[in-house]
Amino acid sequence: MKTTGIRSFILYILTAAFIGCMGFFLFELFSDGDQWAMQPYNQHLVAGGQLTWAGSISDRNGTMLVGSEDGVRSYNSDAGIRTATVHTVGDKNGYISTGVQLVYRPQLSGYNPIFGVTTMTGKTTGGNITLTIDSSLCETALNLLGDRKGAVILYDYTTGEILCKVSTPAFDPENIPEDIETNDQYKGAYLDRTISSSFTPGSTFKVVTAACAIEHLSDWDTRTYTCTGSTIINGEEITCMGQHGEIGLESALGNSCNIYFAELAADLGKDAMTETANEMGFNQAQKLDEIVVAASTYDVSEADENALAWSGIGQYTTLVTPYHMMRIMGAIANGGAPIEPHLVSSMSGSGLGNYTYDVTAGDRMMPEETAKVLQQLLRSDVENYYNSSMFPSSLEVCAKTGTAEVGEGKEDTGWVAGYCANPDTPYAFAVVVEEGGFGSASAAPIASQLLQQLAGG
Amino acid sequence: MPDFSAFFESLGYQTLYVFLYALRILAPVLALIIVIKCFRSVKLGRRPAAPVMMLEEVTTHARFPVLYWENSIGRSRSCDITLPDATMSRDHAVLMRREEGWFIIDTNSKAGTFVNGTKLKPTVRARIHPGDTIAMGSSALSLRQTSDSDLKKSRFSLSEGKRAASPFGTFLLMIFVQVLMAIQCCFAPEDPEQVFTPLPLVLLGALLVIDIAFYLFSMKGLGRVSFEVETVALLFSGIGLFLLAGDSMDVAVTQLAAMFLGIIIFCILIWFMGDLERVTKWRLPLAMCAVGLLAVTLLIGTSINGSKNWIFIGPISIQPSELAKIVFIFAGAATLDKLQTTRNLTEFIVLTALCGGCLVLMKDLGSAAVFFVTFLIIAFMRSGSIRTIALACSAVVIGLFMFLKVKPYAAARFLGWRHVWEHINDNYGYQQSRTLTYAASGGFFGTGLGNGYLHNVAAGNSDLVFGMMTEELGLLLALVTATAIVLWVFYVRSDVTRSRSTFYSISACAAAGILLFQSLLNIFGPLDVIPLTGVTLPFISAGGSSMLSVWGMVAFIKASDERTYAVRKRKR
Repeated sequence: MKTTGIRSFILYILTAAFIGCMGFFLFELFSDGDQWAMQPYNQHLVAGGQLTWAGSISDRNGTMLVGSEDGVRSYNSDAGIRTATVHTVGDKNGYISTGVQLVYRPQLSGYNPIFGVTTMTGKTTGGNITLTIDSSLCETALNLLGDRKGAVILYDYTTGEILCKVSTPAFDPENIPEDIETNDQYKGAYLDRTISSSFTPGSTFKVVTAACAIEHLSDWDTRTYTCTGSTIINGEEITCMGQHGEIGLESALGNSCNIYFAELAADLGKDAMTETANEMGFNQAQKLDEIVVAASTYDVSEADENALAWSGIGQYTTLVTPYHMMRIMGAIANGGAPIEPHLVSSMSGSGLGNYTYDVTAGDRMMPEETAKVLQQLLRSDVENYYNSSMFPSSLEVCAKTGTAEVGEGKEDTGWVAGYCANPDTPYAFAVVVEEGGFGSASAAPIASQLLQQLAGG
Repeated sequence: MPDFSAFFESLGYQTLYVFLYALRILAPVLALIIVIKCFRSVKLGRRPAAPVMMLEEVTTHARFPVLYWENSIGRSRSCDITLPDATMSRDHAVLMRREEGWFIIDTNSKAGTFVNGTKLKPTVRARIHPGDTIAMGSSALSLRQTSDSDLKKSRFSLSEGKRAASPFGTFLLMIFVQVLMAIQCCFAPEDPEQVFTPLPLVLLGALLVIDIAFYLFSMKGLGRVSFEVETVALLFSGIGLFLLAGDSMDVAVTQLAAMFLGIIIFCILIWFMGDLERVTKWRLPLAMCAVGLLAVTLLIGTSINGSKNWIFIGPISIQPSELAKIVFIFAGAATLDKLQTTRNLTEFIVLTALCGGCLVLMKDLGSAAVFFVTFLIIAFMRSGSIRTIALACSAVVIGLFMFLKVKPYAAARFLGWRHVWEHINDNYGYQQSRTLTYAASGGFFGTGLGNGYLHNVAAGNSDLVFGMMTEELGLLLALVTATAIVLWVFYVRSDVTRSRSTFYSISACAAAGILLFQSLLNIFGPLDVIPLTGVTLPFISAGGSSMLSVWGMVAFIKASDERTYAVRKRKR
């Protein structure tokens, strides 16, 4: 019996292993528990009811956009600011899937190794987030858009900070309209059009076609096509707003000649066009910080020659998000590789520790030479072809307008995308106005007003 | 049904929240008190260590205390009674106490053993009475009662052996914890529209009937003096029951039924083990049954989650590997005289290889590992040979290596180990990452019963139940559960030489080892400390077969306490 007793010490090996494992687990829990809990799939953080106790979200000037007081989530006291920033900040119910309040809910909710994600009273205190946006600039953009549906996005292409990001129709998150689900005026109100909607780019896409020509054709600067107002490609007609006669690249971009770019795209071919589009980030998942951005599409794999020609002038199935168009303009301004845009400037006091964004260059979209040529072409557009009152000359704006046909009996979508070459106002922008008609009349004035406010302030 | 929800809404959710939170702090604290009280009472309640009988050398009058129920006698220093007699065998004979009285068995000694001049047949026990002369080699011994003078000069203290406090107080406290759990469960209705459901109270009623009937049957019916082992088992079965009920009442009802069956198996096993002759007789047929059962499973079993270890009989599904564990212990443990006469482990190794082989073919690697560790514990306790253990381990390592060479896909399950964050959305890390996330979310006091999300993950209430418990009821209660499981080992260890036979000591050690090792696999697999294998957490995990086998293990532990059978003599 004595021997059996001594031999039973073998159980202590197992016990030691058990206690060792427990110690290891507890050590890991206390050192990494916050990261374990802060997972995007953690239903405690992202599902169920509204946020109650959580950190605040402020804009770049320290204006609080949303915060918690006594367990109630409350937004900025100004209805205009609330409405202008609702898509960026997010609504109370989390219907706006790209809202910072929803995407960063784990960080805002907080985690504590003793209490996990709950506390004795159900109150939690998480981190505070500072955004790069300027809420008053957003309010200006909202007012400029007015009743029209559209999107405005603008960033500093030298630092990546997004200063203005507005989508309409917007709504006041503190006073959600009762007819938001039924009234056509609010159709798509829960969609952030700057990053979640992709639009037919129309003429703004000619910048991509031009870049493709510069890279693939040795005679791109001497090449001409003749515009008679319409042309037949593969048995079907493509029309132009004017009759531009024999026309070269600079003039064609300035006059936004459809015939030139349609013929050019057809001559460049599917492979070259697709290669350039992919280099510029089409057909790829994009992310703005942790926020998922809708992919832009350029797909001519099923296209005949006529459709390929249409794609070259930003029609056919081509779709692009305002965010992506802004990024392309930022890349051109920055010599081919964009500084990655950021929306979250900093985070403090969350379970994940503090965070401040870094200025980082993204993947190169085009060679530097191409960017240089496009810079000149876009500057020439504004200087030589657009109405001189469109942008104040001191800003040295380089831009391309667009008027995209969307069919279904709807008015065209107005676009403008560009940037300021003036190093004092290093901003790239994209503005879309749905059913706005000509981009030069609908979208461009909004961009101009915002730039002037920025230059003035 | 009265509108409870409206009533609680009128009280205010904040009050309710704080109230439930307080319950989640109170329950583990009380559970820990119960566990510690039960553990301590074992030491307080047992008989004094002082020997009752002495062996006296007839010529020299040297006295040797007879300390145990089974005592080996020989010249080896490892014997319980070592005689400095060169003519004796190293392990000469076994002196043992049975209900009828004292016996001696010659364990194949060279010189033989003589009782009052008659030579004993080897391995056949012979009754002896005080005063009989037992001759072994050149020594002659006589059994006699211990006198006071023996005790005075001995080093045995009389401090132990105070009468144990009645287990009734701890039992009541255990009932109280079960009530607390049921109350929490009432606020975790399956229908999210409701705040309160009275259904768990029905479950509680049935549970209390089982608790009390079991208590009365043991204490009054059988006249036992202790109920601590059962109290701890009931406590954690109850906690597990309401944890499951917070997710699904159907699962909980099945679990309660399995628990009831488990208690019946517990009672049957205790009765069965009361007669060691009977156990010896049935060992071989039972072992063959176990292998047969596993082989049948392999042939007609059904695969669930990749392991072909289920048999469906009508609406009932059982996991034979769980039941085989009980039989496996029977086959491995043995009385001291058997240990001395059958030194080789061949039969037991063959049985292990057959069972292990079947389990590996079923792809139930978790159970195979449990069987192997049980084998190691039993083999070591029987033989004491580190060489055997080393050989067995290397054989398994080589076997495993070859198995993985032949079937490389089996290695895939280890791919995620320590890399789960790279696999949060595939099979290699999905379960582990969810377990870690939700366990961390719970903190020390949990998010509240029924207010978790891990139970939505596959096997959440069985393989991942430790995470589910941590999430909903808090790390504190989960740690108390783990502590209780570790304390089984200390309990068994502290009582190991006091059992009525090495059969009970070995089987109790094996049972505690199974509980501990299975908990180790269940707890630390999903927490990514060790590779994930699908085994259940004793008492807590959903699973009827597991519940039966766990109560079987508890029976082995209970049987190792000599008091379990002591009372029967008194009754006669």
